[in-house]
Amino acid sequence: MTPAHRAVFGGYWLGWLLLGLGFGLLLWFIVAWWDQSEPASSTQKLLIGLGFLGVVWGLARVAQQFVDTSNPVVGFTPAALTLLALVVTAEALLRAYQVPPGLIPTPSRVLSTLLEVRDVLLQDAFQTVVLEALVGYLVGCSLGLLTALLISRYVFLERGLLPYAALFSSIPIVALAPVLVKMIGIDWPSKAVIVAITVFFPMVVNTFRGLTEVSPLSLDLMRSYAAGEVQQYRWLRLPNALPFIFNALKLGTTLAMIGAIVGEFFGANGQGLGFRIQIEAGRFGFDIVWSAIIVASVIGIAWYGLVAWLERRLTGWHVSFR
Amino acid sequence: MRISPNLVPMLVVALVVLALYWPLMYLANIPVAQRALDTGAALPCQTAFECATQLRSPVLPSPQQLWNGFGNLMFPLNSPNAIPINAAVTAFETVVGLLLAAVVGFFFAIGMVASRAFERALLPWIVASQTVPIIAIAPMLVVLLGQYGVQGWLPKAIIAAYIAFFPITIGVAKGLKSPDPMALDLMKTYNASHWQTYLKLRFPASVPYLFTAFKVAMTAALIGAIVAEISTISFQGIGKMLAENSRASDVVAMWVIMLSSAVLGILLVALVNWLERLLTPWRRTSGGAAIPAKQARLSRREGVG
Repeated sequence: MTPAHRAVFGGYWLGWLLLGLGFGLLLWFIVAWWDQSEPASSTQKLLIGLGFLGVVWGLARVAQQFVDTSNPVVGFTPAALTLLALVVTAEALLRAYQVPPGLIPTPSRVLSTLLEVRDVLLQDAFQTVVLEALVGYLVGCSLGLLTALLISRYVFLERGLLPYAALFSSIPIVALAPVLVKMIGIDWPSKAVIVAITVFFPMVVNTFRGLTEVSPLSLDLMRSYAAGEVQQYRWLRLPNALPFIFNALKLGTTLAMIGAIVGEFFGANGQGLGFRIQIEAGRFGFDIVWSAIIVASVIGIAWYGLVAWLERRLTGWHVSFR
Repeated sequence: MRISPNLVPMLVVALVVLALYWPLMYLANIPVAQRALDTGAALPCQTAFECATQLRSPVLPSPQQLWNGFGNLMFPLNSPNAIPINAAVTAFETVVGLLLAAVVGFFFAIGMVASRAFERALLPWIVASQTVPIIAIAPMLVVLLGQYGVQGWLPKAIIAAYIAFFPITIGVAKGLKSPDPMALDLMKTYNASHWQTYLKLRFPASVPYLFTAFKVAMTAALIGAIVAEISTISFQGIGKMLAENSRASDVVAMWVIMLSSAVLGILLVALVNWLERLLTPWRRTSGGAAIPAKQARLSRREGVG
């Protein structure tokens, strides 16, 4: 940022001041309205609006400060502030309009519910994530990897199978779920199969691209070394495919969670995050629904983060990380 | 017109799958049929082998059953319980959702390209919203929107849009950033304003990326629309048919609906492909994407041979 810019922005203190004032206004209102049961007056609603504006404006100024940092924690600050601003504003607005908790629960209420029912939700999460999503994910990804290896080796298989794999990616998996649940039963294996099928096709397509999009020069080099086919795969094609494989693995984490949760919408054995969400949404227990969503999100993000971390460890040599 | 080299292998694979289907079907159904016979259920057949193709809820339906079920669900074409109308409703919701998603996606993408601060503040949450099973929010969102009087096809389109906006945002942002720095410099030497740069250079440059994103987003939107139909009181749509037949345990109908929704998905993506061909003719002739693919193929052949 140039000095001229800095002069126009008047330094960052104004941004932090606006941010602090906005948050102060919103928090003050929440505290003042904690035990009230009637809607706030229009002046107070105006104050909430002003507080929100202050936070957003302040954020827009303050965020400039973090644009060029390379430290991930510091770089995350604007995003964290955004989330905080949204949560606090939602809390204030819901309290101001006295929206019934059966419709939209306030964030504070969701958090306290999350603490209350954490044991049940953890059990649900074990069934959904470990038994269904993780098992299906591992099976689907390994099968996809094997299939891609075969397809990349035999031209006939490539021509016969790859177009179907591309076709399959445009099929809505939800339509598959009820059939599979009926076929295999309502226990966890049916959901694991759904997950395996969902992650299988992206894995095949991505790995295949990685195995085949090899630079012709490297192939020539391998040939001049008289490398056998196994060696060619070991030293050239598989390392080349690694970034593609990890892309599919990262994509798969999301698909696995969605597959498991959607599968449970069509029948579960009384456990599971998807089942809980379906049941509680049906009887307006939205605080539990939100708690389940928070649990699912945290697990989903952690899982994604784990795969991304592995990717960094194993493909640190790749261009995209240098 | 050149025949694709994939045609023969694809046909062979399809035939192998079909040929394997019969024994698999018998293998899966005979134990169930035997059990049904043992319990003395009234079946129009004597042996387990015969019954395997006539079960009311088979593990794998026989082709004959599928064909009959297809006939039952397809016709009459204009019946409210037949697939054509319901598929059209779902397709409509999906397309409206996709257009909504495109508007939102463009908004976010322009914000991210124009301001690094905006990107820093929102991108982590846009990415995180994808690692979150968004579908989980659908049942709640539908009930919520219903409370405020938003009913019919609109909530489904909104959910479809919500699920589809991410690939579009990322794709458009990539596309808006894709112009050659030389071209951007040229705009600068012409003293083009911010808006002119966007209108004349960045938007056209983002069109191919937009279509690539649309293909992914179309499937996502279809999933969103179907899930939204399942998790609400809906009177039309593929999702409603799925939910109804899932409750009624009509396995054959579920298979037919599954297959038709697969066809619907493929058709919708084909529609995007067709539009792409229509709207970006310069890519067809210059073949910018065709060259790397060909190179890869060549290099592969060499490696195998």
